[in-house]
Amino acid sequence: MILHIAIKEIYRNLTTLRFTLMVILLPVLFIVNALIYSFGSGGYTTQMNNYNRRGTENRGHIIKHADQSLAELALVGPGEMPKRPSRLTFCAGGVDEVVSRSIKMKSEGTISRSGGGKDEDYKWRPPLKLEYKVESAGSTPTRRVKINWVFIGVLMSFFAILFTFDAIAEERARGTLSLMMSNTISRGQVLLGKYLGAFVTLMVPLIISILMNLLIIHVFGDIPFGTSEWLRILGMVGLFALLISTFIFLGLFFSSRVSNAITSLVWLLLTWVFLAFVFPSLLGTFVGNLNPIPSVDEISMRRRAQLDQIDDEWKGGANKIKKAPSIEYPSRTRTWAEYFTAIGDTEKQIADEHIDQQLRQVQFARDLTQISPIATFQYAMEGLANTSIAGYMDFVKQARRYRQTFIDFVKAEDQGDPESLHIYPVREGLSQKPVDPDAVPVFEERISYRSVLSQVGLLVLFNLLFFIMAQVSFLMSEIK
Amino acid sequence: MHTLWLVIQREFVSNVLTSRFMIGFIVCLLSTAVAVFVQVDDYEKRLVGYNTAVREAEAEAQEWELYSKIKPKAHRKPNPLGIFNVGTENFGANTVTVEMGKPIFELSFPIWSAPTQKRGSDNPFLAMFLTVDVVFIFKIVLSALAILFAYNTISGEREDGTLKLVLSNAIPRDTVVFGKYLGGMLSLFPIVLMSLIVALIIALSSRVTAFDGNDIAHIVLIFAVSLLYVSTWYLLGLLLSVWTKTAATTLILSMFIWVLLTSVHSNAVAFAVEKFPPYKSNPESAALQPAFEVWDQFNKEQEAYIKQRGYDNLQESITWEPEKGEDGEPTRTRTGMGTSSESGGYYRIKNYHITNVAKADTSIFQEILGYQEQLRVEYANKAEAILNKPSEERERNAKFADMISRISFADTYDFAVGTIAGTDRRSYNDFIQNSRAYKREIVEYLRDREAFSSRAWFSDDKGAAELTDLPVFQHQRLSLSESLSRAAIDILILLAWNIVLFMVAYVSFLRYDMS
Repeated sequence: MILHIAIKEIYRNLTTLRFTLMVILLPVLFIVNALIYSFGSGGYTTQMNNYNRRGTENRGHIIKHADQSLAELALVGPGEMPKRPSRLTFCAGGVDEVVSRSIKMKSEGTISRSGGGKDEDYKWRPPLKLEYKVESAGSTPTRRVKINWVFIGVLMSFFAILFTFDAIAEERARGTLSLMMSNTISRGQVLLGKYLGAFVTLMVPLIISILMNLLIIHVFGDIPFGTSEWLRILGMVGLFALLISTFIFLGLFFSSRVSNAITSLVWLLLTWVFLAFVFPSLLGTFVGNLNPIPSVDEISMRRRAQLDQIDDEWKGGANKIKKAPSIEYPSRTRTWAEYFTAIGDTEKQIADEHIDQQLRQVQFARDLTQISPIATFQYAMEGLANTSIAGYMDFVKQARRYRQTFIDFVKAEDQGDPESLHIYPVREGLSQKPVDPDAVPVFEERISYRSVLSQVGLLVLFNLLFFIMAQVSFLMSEIK
Repeated sequence: MHTLWLVIQREFVSNVLTSRFMIGFIVCLLSTAVAVFVQVDDYEKRLVGYNTAVREAEAEAQEWELYSKIKPKAHRKPNPLGIFNVGTENFGANTVTVEMGKPIFELSFPIWSAPTQKRGSDNPFLAMFLTVDVVFIFKIVLSALAILFAYNTISGEREDGTLKLVLSNAIPRDTVVFGKYLGGMLSLFPIVLMSLIVALIIALSSRVTAFDGNDIAHIVLIFAVSLLYVSTWYLLGLLLSVWTKTAATTLILSMFIWVLLTSVHSNAVAFAVEKFPPYKSNPESAALQPAFEVWDQFNKEQEAYIKQRGYDNLQESITWEPEKGEDGEPTRTRTGMGTSSESGGYYRIKNYHITNVAKADTSIFQEILGYQEQLRVEYANKAEAILNKPSEERERNAKFADMISRISFADTYDFAVGTIAGTDRRSYNDFIQNSRAYKREIVEYLRDREAFSSRAWFSDDKGAAELTDLPVFQHQRLSLSESLSRAAIDILILLAWNIVLFMVAYVSFLRYDMS
């Protein structure tokens, strides 16, 4: 019987104007998306070339300094840690353009002092730190909405509303609802039948369009697809299904709640505008203001003050680092090591804390905006495309872990050299012998998709919630 | 006249009493209030950043003692109307540093020691949330409301059968159309007005926002354009209502057009133009190389000039009076000319300092400097022309995208309001242009007092540089008439849409088949 109603619903939907409009718009958007990402500038190929170039440059950097000495390598750092470009940016662009493409661990420039006397002249590299450069100084605006799968998903939720706003209200007005209910059929079955009908009507054109999209991307786009990509795309189709089904239930809820189809559409439309535009964006920026973080100026002031204090302590009255470090005088070298460590620790602490605060703030804003199923869908898509903020946070964590791995490697390698003073991080205190570049640990990015699970759970929850709401309101509604 | 008034009244009352009016009213007020709240906070932050930057620049200016050391800055003042339409307020450079040997330009990637700087935002990650301002809310929500008010005006009444009843009276059809239009607009008017008043109240309750008369005039203009925009949507709804048989079809069709025009069209156009730029040339980094070559020419010309004056290098043009020791024998004192230079390939800045300057006769040296430094300014302008090409190209592409976007009147509205508020791309480009004009002004100032060939260019031993009346960057705000003339095209397009839609709706209704 459910099937019967569903098939009747599908036939009814197929002949409507909205179905025609959807069937025109959907493939057009998916094809535009595929064409833009296959042929447009700055696509995956360009990104991958940049990534590979960075990798080669970095390898050259490590070989060059490892050949000089362990000390040199230890002080200049392992270079850049590039973030691998996502192959699925055409599905979800996410924060890809906002975050930096690499995290640097490279000491640039030198500081020198001279004029005090031969054994006071010294030239050193600023202590190593991780540089999370986020904002590009360029003038390209990055806020543009992109025509990707997420955008189409938002439109799909709109179509879900268009297909359900009159599902019950209309039949009630025409009197066919009471006719249907006079059969031996439960209200739950009617609701489920209507749900299935709308679901199939929406999903079939969607899947066909997606296949067209993938075909173009696969043939023309220079994007290699592995098992992982296919599985993730399958997951994305599942997310589409979850989103569409959420909005079908929402539509059925309003449709059974309100006596008039038009009133139901008005409610649905305003709800949709809120869930799609106002809520995710406005709440995001709003929360940013609720939960303030220190401004860039404050942080740079604090950093300067702390560094000045350290300088005073070591260079000021007591002047602990008057004499330059050297291999013959371990105690001088040790004092310098303390000085460098103090600076390095301060820099590390301030930079790490700053980016953590920024990321926490934006994460909090994102967590809250998940009240909107559309935002949840977007984050889940970004999670699967590996362009989410959670993915970037993971990347930052891995970069930090790599920093420790690198320092541990330097220390372990240094222990193997009996001539070294084993004082990190001063050049004179470390091994002067070259190291094997192949032994230097390489940064490897591991991508986890676990963060998506919570969003999938949330979407399922939305479905359950709206299903119950629709069910209850239909059970309680009057048929006439 | 009386019947027209009756139709208006009836339309107004039937709209106001519906649930959609109440829901729309509340939704519009609420979202406007939250948007303004967020934007006022954002504006405050921009203002604090601006004030700090100006203060720091003033303190820095106190320490200039040589003409060659001055680095005046042009700061972009936050626009209070940015509360209504953020536009380009949070994008691009806020500070342009004027230096004699440095071109002013912008590339889309960071460049060493760039003349244009952006003050860091506290959390760049928040940029991924779409900015929502009053105009955005109006663009999306008000247009939806206008459609919801208009969709059943004709087709709905026809379904109910009331249309026949109305027309059976001695009311001409044009009165019906006109009355329905005015009645619908009359019921939308309080929503727009109240939203704007709420926005103003929240904006003014903040300590930092102060609108002057000019700003208020601009806000009134924004209000008028918003009404025009709402009217366009209402007329579209009305037209579709005449054209379609049932109210449900009208609604579906107009909702579809609404989504297409407000969200799909402009985003698709802008994104496609970004990915397939019609004006495409070399990559931006390729513009740097010819700029480097300009400076090679400069070096050649400069050396040639020194040769022509009869010196091998600049230092030879300085003569030191011989130092007499106690016994009459000349003693060796350290004399000489030192230079410190800063150059990033695309620019050259050179400072000279002369040891024992009190004993030096620098009249010829000064003459040469006077020629050479003005030459440097000229070459910096040449390099600027080359380096500015990429951003001109970007601008051309963006203009192309804008042109196609204008097909949708939702975007036309966006452009019109951005232009009136002074937060459009053109206003931003004006800021960069103004900073170039400011640079010319500074050069003119230095030339007038012959600073390039003065001793205070490199030494303050005979008095420091006189900089008390150094021009300060003047922030330009457009007057109402200027804004109006800039926005005229967009406003006219909106007006044309209104007229065309009304005419078509009117004619269609006159030929409407009642049966």
